[in-house]
Amino acid sequence: MSIVRRSQQWGTFARMWHVFDATWQDPYQSSQIIAKYLLGRHKPISHPMNRCGDHVVVINSSEIALRGDEWQMRVYFHHDTYHGGASWTKAWELHKKDPTMIMKKAVYRALGNNLTRHQAYARLHVFLDDKIPLEIQQNLSSQIKQLRPVPQRLDQISPEELENFPQIVKLPETYVLT
Amino acid sequence: MAFARCIAKFTKNYFLPDSSRSISITATRNIKEIREVKENNTTIIEGIVKPHPKEHLMLKSCDNGACPLCSAGVNVKHTDVLILKQFVRSDGCMLPRRITGLCNIQQKRVGIMVTMAHRAGLMGTLKPKNCRMDPKKRRDWRKYNTYYDETTIKQSYY
Ligand SMILES: [Zn+2]
Repeated sequence: MSIVRRSQQWGTFARMWHVFDATWQDPYQSSQIIAKYLLGRHKPISHPMNRCGDHVVVINSSEIALRGDEWQMRVYFHHDTYHGGASWTKAWELHKKDPTMIMKKAVYRALGNNLTRHQAYARLHVFLDDKIPLEIQQNLSSQIKQLRPVPQRLDQISPEELENFPQIVKLPETYVLT
Repeated sequence: MAFARCIAKFTKNYFLPDSSRSISITATRNIKEIREVKENNTTIIEGIVKPHPKEHLMLKSCDNGACPLCSAGVNVKHTDVLILKQFVRSDGCMLPRRITGLCNIQQKRVGIMVTMAHRAGLMGTLKPKNCRMDPKKRRDWRKYNTYYDETTIKQSYY
């Protein structure tokens, strides 16, 4: 086997490390994308009998955004097998306890229920902020695109942009804004 | 402190007549600019309506009678705070329809999207006084990031 073919073989079957910035991202929508990368479904050589899943490093998981009133409405169920041992935890309470938990659970669910789930889940690395260990940082070679653009707050926009933005509303001449 | 400010204001108003007229019976709106022109023996004092300071940034209006937002042809989201900012007062309240000149559907849509932007903490500077500007300082679930879906707004053309 020539050195070109050998390096092509390595390049094809090597595990890649992707980074995903979870700032202002919906964990339940982005978990579908992350699960695709963890299982290797984004590769042309993907096959159920072929283990070609990649590693995904999720950063800033404490900055995830949930839709509407989901922080209150979404509930995580747990049962400790005793009588009366059922407990329901709201999403914001779980997030307060562990800011990586919602992201992990969302991906775990998106991976599907079969035997590849645990191997794929082990390739997921969730960090609550952007401080990641150096040995993981050195592996990173690709970035997964965010689903939603990060919104800009009005107090973070520069005064020049505020001044020069096109105006849609034409107020009546005698109307003065307070 | 308030007393000192009161004294300073009084001094400025009554003992320093050089400053421009600062006593008024009604609220000053500064709609017209008062100009004094002296020509020989005649003094002309006239009130001129000043053009809007952002007149050059105004979008062209349509002839077909469509409202400014429909004729602009933009898909407004609740994260477009620079657009939504133009429809609210300094305390974040929505302006009435006779002022904004929007059509019924757009007025409702913009009103809902302004509420969304406030709840997502994107318009912290446009709030009543003594309000928390930073959404991270809110309590319980309110401090976590929340986004909204515009398809949940019922008012739409199609
Ligand atoms: Zn309209």
